[in-house]
Amino acid sequence: MTLPDDLPAEGRAREDASAERSRTASEVASAIAHQLSGPLTALLLYVSDLHTNSDQFPDDNGEGLPLRQIAEQALREAEFACRLLQQIENTCASAFPEQSDIAHGRKVIAWWSRATTGNARPADPEAASAANATYQLLTRREREVLRLISQGLTNKEGAMHLQICPRTFESHRARIMQKFKAKNAVELVRMALHINMPADGNEKTWLLPTPTQCRAESSDGNA
Amino acid sequence: MDTLEETAGDISASTKPPLRVLVIDDDDCVCMAIRAILSRRNGETAIAPRAAAGIRALETSRFDIVVIDVFMPGLSGLHTIAHIRRKSTVPIIVMSGFRLRQTPGAEDYFAMAMQRGASTWLRKPFSPPQLIEAIDRSLAAAHFTGTLTQ
Repeated sequence: MTLPDDLPAEGRAREDASAERSRTASEVASAIAHQLSGPLTALLLYVSDLHTNSDQFPDDNGEGLPLRQIAEQALREAEFACRLLQQIENTCASAFPEQSDIAHGRKVIAWWSRATTGNARPADPEAASAANATYQLLTRREREVLRLISQGLTNKEGAMHLQICPRTFESHRARIMQKFKAKNAVELVRMALHINMPADGNEKTWLLPTPTQCRAESSDGNA
Repeated sequence: MDTLEETAGDISASTKPPLRVLVIDDDDCVCMAIRAILSRRNGETAIAPRAAAGIRALETSRFDIVVIDVFMPGLSGLHTIAHIRRKSTVPIIVMSGFRLRQTPGAEDYFAMAMQRGASTWLRKPFSPPQLIEAIDRSLAAAHFTGTLTQ
């Protein structure tokens, strides 16, 4: 007599599980779309500006594709990527987590990357403790630099952030890689993933009212 | 070499004082890009990675315009707009990749932001002309309301 009751229950459980899976999938999609919207916005801004000012590129000397055309194609591809992203956002807007919060999005992405990279990330206590021990050897500046590198900033962007010369940033980076005995940036970031870094550095270093810097930057172009 | 000013020139001529812009977004690549774009057009950009830092910056210095993201850890963009509006009439541009809020009723984030006092909105990703146009539009609107209330 219990059979008829059990079957629907089992079916319901399966349904719940698949609903759960599809909800997670769309949450992952919207979290990724959310993370992509920043870099793509930046890309579109930079590339459009390059394109607008491409008349200042040196004239092509007959070798290969002129820079102007490259800028034009780069802009077209960037615009295409942006349109694709907006389509993704439109389809998963309804799945965007109510308590929006990025924190949640980041958690989902962390979960997702653990799930998809398989054995690359699962806790490796030895590597983790070695990385954390090395981290303790870094100076305050080096830690900041490492954090920026792990966030995917280029040398130039990182240098702008810390308001230092890109060369200095590079030398910090080289010293960090020496300390970690990392052969390249990918290896360095992979080790850095084990470290419990403070999510945000000192907030004060981020708030940059930099009139001087802006003027310096624009005078580069206007001088 | 005045070509830069000529091609840009949208916001103001180089003789005018620079436009002071505050960007509040936790996504630093967006902040840096906006700063790069505006710095070539006579704009000075301050960056705040959190709503709290942005509100502090507004209390201590004067800005011509605020550009703010909807989704940020901590205080959200919508709350921040309401908070800023209690004290200031500075034009606010709200930006976000996601436009629609989850059920109930799939509310529009941009509409909600406008209700709370934003001047206009920008859907990410946006291009420099869209950014400049949004800035021009909200400055013009602010100027217009300013002349009405005087």
